[in-house]
Amino acid sequence: MDASVTQAALEVRGLAKSFGRKVVEGLDLHIHPGEFYALLGPNGAGKTTTLRMIAGLMRPDAGSIRVFGRDVLADPLGAKAVMAWIPDEPLLYDRLSPLEYLAFVAGLWQVPPALAKSRADELLETLGLWPHRHERCEGFSRGMKQKTVLAGALIHDPKFLLLDEPLTGLDAAAARLVKDLLRRHVERGAAIILTTHILEVAERLASRIGILSGGLLLAEGDLPALRAQAGVHGSLEDVFLHLTATA
Amino acid sequence: MFRAPGFLWLLRHELVVLWRGSILVRTHRHILLPVLGVGVVFQGIALLLAGQIIRHKLPPAQMLLAANINVVFLAALMFSRAMTASIDVIYGRGDADFLLASPIPPGRVLAVRMLGVAVTIAAPWLLLGGVLANGLALRGQGWALAVYPVLLAEALLVAALAFALVTALLRRIGPAAARRAGNTLALGVGLGIFVLGQAPRFIAPQTLMRFWAALLPGPQGGGVAFLFARGLLGQGPDLATSLLLSFAVFVLAWRGLAGPFARGAITAAAYRPAGRAGVQSGVFRQSAFAALFAKDLRLLARFPGLFSQVVYRSLTLVPVAFILAGKGKAYGGLAVVAPLLVFLAGQLGLFFISVLRGSESAPGLADSAPVAAHLPARAGIAASGYAALLILALPVLATMARAPALLGALLAGLAGVLVSNLALGWRLPIPLVRAAFGKAQTGTVLGLILGLGVSCAWALAVWLLVSPRPFG
Repeated sequence: MDASVTQAALEVRGLAKSFGRKVVEGLDLHIHPGEFYALLGPNGAGKTTTLRMIAGLMRPDAGSIRVFGRDVLADPLGAKAVMAWIPDEPLLYDRLSPLEYLAFVAGLWQVPPALAKSRADELLETLGLWPHRHERCEGFSRGMKQKTVLAGALIHDPKFLLLDEPLTGLDAAAARLVKDLLRRHVERGAAIILTTHILEVAERLASRIGILSGGLLLAEGDLPALRAQAGVHGSLEDVFLHLTATA
Repeated sequence: MFRAPGFLWLLRHELVVLWRGSILVRTHRHILLPVLGVGVVFQGIALLLAGQIIRHKLPPAQMLLAANINVVFLAALMFSRAMTASIDVIYGRGDADFLLASPIPPGRVLAVRMLGVAVTIAAPWLLLGGVLANGLALRGQGWALAVYPVLLAEALLVAALAFALVTALLRRIGPAAARRAGNTLALGVGLGIFVLGQAPRFIAPQTLMRFWAALLPGPQGGGVAFLFARGLLGQGPDLATSLLLSFAVFVLAWRGLAGPFARGAITAAAYRPAGRAGVQSGVFRQSAFAALFAKDLRLLARFPGLFSQVVYRSLTLVPVAFILAGKGKAYGGLAVVAPLLVFLAGQLGLFFISVLRGSESAPGLADSAPVAAHLPARAGIAASGYAALLILALPVLATMARAPALLGALLAGLAGVLVSNLALGWRLPIPLVRAAFGKAQTGTVLGLILGLGVSCAWALAVWLLVSPRPFG
C-alpha cells in the first residue's frame, strides 16, 4: 500500500502563536489524503495565522506541524515541495503574463519543463485564461487574477493545498469552475484545507469542517457532528453562529 | 442635516496626504527637526550668497534675462513633475474613486487635487528660492520676496496645464503611456539643462555671447514673454497680472475638467490598462534560480520610467565617451574614465536592485516555495548586477582598447562597487515605487545617501589607484 495513503496529509499538534495576545492556542488538526477540510471562524479567529504557520511562512511559538510526514519546522523545504498556498490577496506580478507567471512558479517548484508546459496549457485552457496567456496581468479583473494564482498553485500538482478565501472575486461560473477543479484534485488523492466566510461553500465542498474562534478549535466534524456538538438542529450558519457566540 | 466638508477641510486632508507621501516623510518618521536644521544651514549659506549677488549687480536687461531663464527652466521642471504628480492623484494613489463615492461635491475634490499638484511642484522651489529671497530681503532687497507669489502663480498655471494635458493623454493612451510621456519630458528637460551646462566647452565664446544677446529683452521690457520675470523682480503690476493670469487659467482648466471628473471619466476606474502582450512568452525552466532570475529581469525591463531613469543616471557616460574618443582633455585625461564608470556602476546597481525590491508584489510566493531563503536575494542581486554590467559593457570594452592599463583597477572597482551597493540596496532600497493606497513604502532616503556614499568611496579608491597624482 502506498505510504502516503496511510500517512496523514496534515498533522498539527499543540500549535500556538501569540502577537502580544494569543492568536492560536493549542490547536490540533488531522487531515487525511483525499479530504477537503474547511476552517471557519469569525474575523480574527486565527485562521490565516494557522495557514501561514502550516505553509512554513511563520514560526509557531509551540507545537508541531507535519505535512505528508514531513516536519514543516525541521524540513521546511521538503514540506513546501508538496504544498501550495493561496493567500486571500492574490500573489501575482502585474507585469508578467499568466504564462510567464506559471513558468516562474513551475521553476520555483522545479517541475520538469516539458511537464510544466503541458500542465500550464491544460490549466490555462480549463480556467479560461488561454486567450489571455500572453497578456500582462495588470489589466485583469480580480477574478482573472485569482484564476491565474490558482493555476500557479496547481501547476506543480501539490499533494496538499492551503487556500485562504479562494473564491473571493470570482463570478458564479468561475467559482463553479474552481470548485470543480478543487474537487477533482481531492479525488486524485490530494488534501485541501480552506478558509472561507461563505458558509455555503464549506457546506458543499468540505467533508469536514473545523470552527475556530479566539485561536481555539471549538468544534470539528461533518455537519451532523457539528450539529450534535453545538446542540443546534439547523443550517451550518445556525451552528456556526451559535458556537462562535457562546465561545 | 448633513453638510459636506468644506474646501479648506478637504485641502488640509490633501496636503496631509501629500506631506505623508513625500519622499522624506514616507521613509522616515521623525524628519521635521532634521529638515528644519538643514533649512537653517541653507538660510545661512543663502545669506552669504545674497551678499555676493548684491555686490555683482547685473545691468537691468541682463537681470531680466536671468530671471526669465529661471522662470522658463522652473516652468519646464515643474511641468514634467506636474504630469507625473497628476497621474498619481488621478490614477496612482487609488483614492479618487473613494472620495468620489463620498457626498463631497466632485468639483471640490478636483479643485483640491489640482491645488495639491500645484503645491507639490512649487514646494521644492519655494524652499530653495525662498531662502535666497529671504537672504536678499534681510540685506535690504525686499523686492526679492516676490519669488513666493511668482512661484505659486507659476505652479498654479503649470499644474492646470499639466492636469489638462494628462487628462487628455489618459483618455487617449492610458496611464502607463501618459506617465512615460511625463518621464520623457522630465528627461528632455534634464538633458537640455545638462547640454546647456556643457555648451561653453564646445561652443566658441563669441557665438555664445551672440546667442545670449539675442535673448535680451527690448527697451519695453520684453512684453508678455517676460511677464513672470518682471514679477519675479518685484514689479508690482506685472506680479499682479501674473497671479491673475495663472488663477484664470487654473479656473478655466478646473471648469473644463470638473464635468468629466464628476462622471468618473477621468478616475482610475475609467482606465483599466489593456493587457499588453509580454515581450517573451513563458520559458519553463527547472531551476529555481533561473526562474527567479528571469522573473527579475522581466520586472526590471517592464518598470515604468526605466529608460528615462537609466539615461539620467548614465549621463556620466557623456564625458566618458568624449574622453575615450580623444576629445576630452578638459575632463582630466583617460585615467578619469575608471572612477567615472565605477561611480556609474554603483548608482545603476543601486537603482536596479531598488526597482526589484519595490516591484516585489508577491514575496510570499517564493517564501512558500521549496527554495532556500537566500535564493530570491541572490537572484535579485545577480539580475541587477547583470543589467548594470550590460550597460557598462561597451564603455568597458572601449576602455580596454584605449587604455588597457586601467582595466585591472576598473574591473576590481566595478566588482567592489556592485557587490557593496547591491547588498546595501537589497537591505535599504532607494524609494522608487510610491506605495499604493494602504500599502507600506519600501524605499528609504538613508539607502539613497549611503548608496551615493558607497559609489563615491569606490570611485575615489579607483581614482587614487589609477592616477599617479590624483590631486596634483
